[in-house]
Amino acid sequence: MTTATLDAPSESEIKPDDLRAQVEALSRSKGEPDWLLAFRLASLEQALGMEWWTGQEESWRRTPRERLPRRARVGNVAGGSNGTSISAPPHVFAPDAHAGMVHQIDGRVAASDLAADARAQGVIIKPLAVAAREHAGLMQEWLGVVGPPLDRYDAFGRALWTQGVFVYAPRGAVVDESLFYLITQDVRQGDHWHYTLVVAERESQISLIDAADANDRQAKIGEPPLIHASVELIAEDGANLQFASVQRWHRQTAAISTTRGRVGRDASIRVTTAAFGADLDKQRIDMDMSQNGGFAEMRGLFVGDGKQHIEHVTRQHHKGVGATSDLLIRGVLTDESQAVQYGLIRIEPEGQKTNAHQTMRNLLLDDGAGADPIPMLEIEADDVKCSHAAAVGPVDPDQLFYLQARGIPPKVAERMVVRGFLSEIADGVPDEHMREVIDELVEIQLEPAGPAS
Amino acid sequence: MTPPLFEIDALQVAVEDKQIVNGLSLTLRPGEVHAIMGPNGSGKSTLANSLMGHPRYTIHGGDIRLEGESVVELAPDERARLGLFLAFQYPTDIPGVSMINFLRRAMSARRGEEIPVREFRQVLNEILGRLQMDEQFVRRYVNDGFSGGEKKRAEILQLGLLEPKVAVMDETDSGLDIDALRIVSEGINTFHSDDNAILLITHYQRILRYVQPDHVHVLIDGRIVESGDASLAERLERDGYEPFMAPAKEEVLTS
Repeated sequence: MTTATLDAPSESEIKPDDLRAQVEALSRSKGEPDWLLAFRLASLEQALGMEWWTGQEESWRRTPRERLPRRARVGNVAGGSNGTSISAPPHVFAPDAHAGMVHQIDGRVAASDLAADARAQGVIIKPLAVAAREHAGLMQEWLGVVGPPLDRYDAFGRALWTQGVFVYAPRGAVVDESLFYLITQDVRQGDHWHYTLVVAERESQISLIDAADANDRQAKIGEPPLIHASVELIAEDGANLQFASVQRWHRQTAAISTTRGRVGRDASIRVTTAAFGADLDKQRIDMDMSQNGGFAEMRGLFVGDGKQHIEHVTRQHHKGVGATSDLLIRGVLTDESQAVQYGLIRIEPEGQKTNAHQTMRNLLLDDGAGADPIPMLEIEADDVKCSHAAAVGPVDPDQLFYLQARGIPPKVAERMVVRGFLSEIADGVPDEHMREVIDELVEIQLEPAGPAS
Repeated sequence: MTPPLFEIDALQVAVEDKQIVNGLSLTLRPGEVHAIMGPNGSGKSTLANSLMGHPRYTIHGGDIRLEGESVVELAPDERARLGLFLAFQYPTDIPGVSMINFLRRAMSARRGEEIPVREFRQVLNEILGRLQMDEQFVRRYVNDGFSGGEKKRAEILQLGLLEPKVAVMDETDSGLDIDALRIVSEGINTFHSDDNAILLITHYQRILRYVQPDHVHVLIDGRIVESGDASLAERLERDGYEPFMAPAKEEVLTS
């Protein structure tokens, strides 16, 4: 065996034949069509042909090696996981009003609905496994078209997913209220691979909120689970797609996500992510700006505490003429939490008249906290506007003094400044209920010490 | 004579080891308006900020007393809750924090209990009207994107809401056009009563046409070099600070 010596406990041996058999069994148990099994197996072969990260790669250099497992296990597929319904309490982030919703617990469907107006326009929101049967043609057309897998996690994600959602807006469909994909992570169920596919056809307008919560955040779990989420966002010409993800995973979780956006001509994709849970959270966001006049916005918000490690790796990849992309990351770090932002703007020679910007701002509330923002520019076109700004520092003492001079105690004043700082990112979330949820989570996360609740 | 409301007693203040205020003393009694006038660099802003307890300024001598109690050991928020107020020369912008949220918290802090929403609205709207400010104004973020005049009006709005015992106004007149100056001055006069006291810190005499001082003091090199009534301000307007500065300079040279 070539993998007999392992230097880290998180690294586990890959047995290709076992994995192939497991993927086949998984697909069969879900009653998937043959083309989907073929897609899984092809993705698996891609993954097997890749290597794990070593830490030498530029965008992995600051990732703590021992805290993000390099392994590929098929998640525990509990009984009834073939997209069938179970009864469960509503998701804690569940909205009052929404255009449609899918709530999944460990691959099982706890709730699924769609408003009449959206349904009449041909909009779809369904668990991926259900959509694979009921909308096979559509899903087959779009699954994976954002491009080959970004890396081994992404490739395994396509092969091993046990839950996911398919959201589709046909040409010209306009849905004002948000669609919700809610996940409850069953913390005892081990590793998970999620897959989200959102397609906005020409001139359509749609927004999806992807909210994940752990079902027992106080539970002590033996082996920290690995969760990977593959997210594929496609906005065809003239479409407007908004996507927001909010995660509050269990505190022992290693979370990694790969979000890929493909922005069509004069189309827009707006992504907002908010990270609260997990021991390590590494978010990759990759925007393909190949078409002329596209617009993309990536907003990231986080509040770190304890020893959390929160990382954003982004790429704004411009090939189209006159496209605009904007990256805005704001985070607050307490205790000994650490953040890394690695943001690349890449402009190909044909990407003239590009506007591309990045801003990374980190507030450090404790001496032990730290942040490492790294903006990178690779520009091969000569007629572009680019900017980047990165900041790491404490709360502005003049802001604190101003509030204190009005009688507001220092701790409250700090909290106000911090919430204000983050609310400017949360404003990008296209749903008021979710903005309130984020504000509450910020508040909870800022509570001093004690176990996260 | 009524007991003093606010006393500055031989105050010495340093910024980064450089002494700026050199043993300044001043007593304000209830109902009084004092003006401290001084040229650039005389220590006006250092004095204002140190009275409120800005952490950048170190008090290493003397005392500040509010109603007979020393406040030098108190944090800025404690001083504010006791009734000390500073109208900032350059109010800090705080993006993401709405004026209305901020004002309500400040008012509740000053009162020591949550102010009921209805009462808050009522008081707020009354003062907004008086200052000729739109009600939408309080939906904006604290001082964020405010014009110079809006910032100063917002300070006066807070003065009216918080009803302090002692208000220190740091160059409140700077950057105001004549109409704004009049409105801001009226705001100060409306606030002023027999129970509170005002310390106007200013470079120019013009605000003193609207807010009548009982006492005028000339600040040079961190000391009060001359005190008098309102006519002293007129003298300054006519002759400038030059006549007061010469001896102070000499002193520095010979020391």
